[in-house]
Amino acid sequence: MSPLVVALWLANIVLDTVGQLAFKAAAGDRHAGDGLARWKYMASHPWLWLGIACYVLEFLVWVAFLSLLPLSEGVLLGSINIVVIMLAGRWLFGERLTRLRLIGMFLVAVGVAVVGAGA
Amino acid sequence: MKRFYLVGFLLLMSFDTLAQISFKYAGNHALPVAASLDWLLRVFGAPWIYGAIVGYVGAFFTWMSLLKHAPIGPAFAASHLEVVSVLLLSAWLFGDALTPSRIIGAVLIVAGIVCLGLAEGREEAASGHPDSGPAP
Repeated sequence: MSPLVVALWLANIVLDTVGQLAFKAAAGDRHAGDGLARWKYMASHPWLWLGIACYVLEFLVWVAFLSLLPLSEGVLLGSINIVVIMLAGRWLFGERLTRLRLIGMFLVAVGVAVVGAGA
Repeated sequence: MKRFYLVGFLLLMSFDTLAQISFKYAGNHALPVAASLDWLLRVFGAPWIYGAIVGYVGAFFTWMSLLKHAPIGPAFAASHLEVVSVLLLSAWLFGDALTPSRIIGAVLIVAGIVCLGLAEGREEAASGHPDSGPAP
């Protein structure tokens, strides 16, 4: 894999993770209220916009990434986002990592490594 | 109700698959990659990128309606299982080789996703209310 492909892969991981966490922070804010007021509150705070900005950039990064390697490989390598987001959720939001979750994350990570090693 | 889930999951997988295949066509059409306005114009000047947007929007609304009724565990797993359909379709559409490393990697990833789906299902059963899952 070329350095550009690796850089795009890493950028995709960072943007997806920051985006998901920003949406979680926006949606989980207890001061936000309900209904329309909740959306107004979220729109006047940075988290929602950070999430949207990350997703727009990620969209473009993903197009560039997939154009440089076979689709089958790209989609499999992209699965690592699941693992990184769960680790970040544990770190920032204290989400529990049960044994079954750890096994699942491990299997996904090994699978991505096998695909990457064969690329 | 079983039929509702089945149709919902298949619809979600179809939207996700449509998005990924459209991304690939859009990217191929816009080659070579460059951080430039020209590249953006090539991406958005061909119809494929709009297929990707339709796929994303469709997947989002399908996911939200599924979450209203379906348990989070199976829904989470189903929202990521498009790797299987994309793998098979890319062999057919783009002539991607189904190499041993891709097949073994895919089997491990799918096994991991199934474990994560089971784990989410248990969490939900234990806490009594669904945890919000990741967007597709």
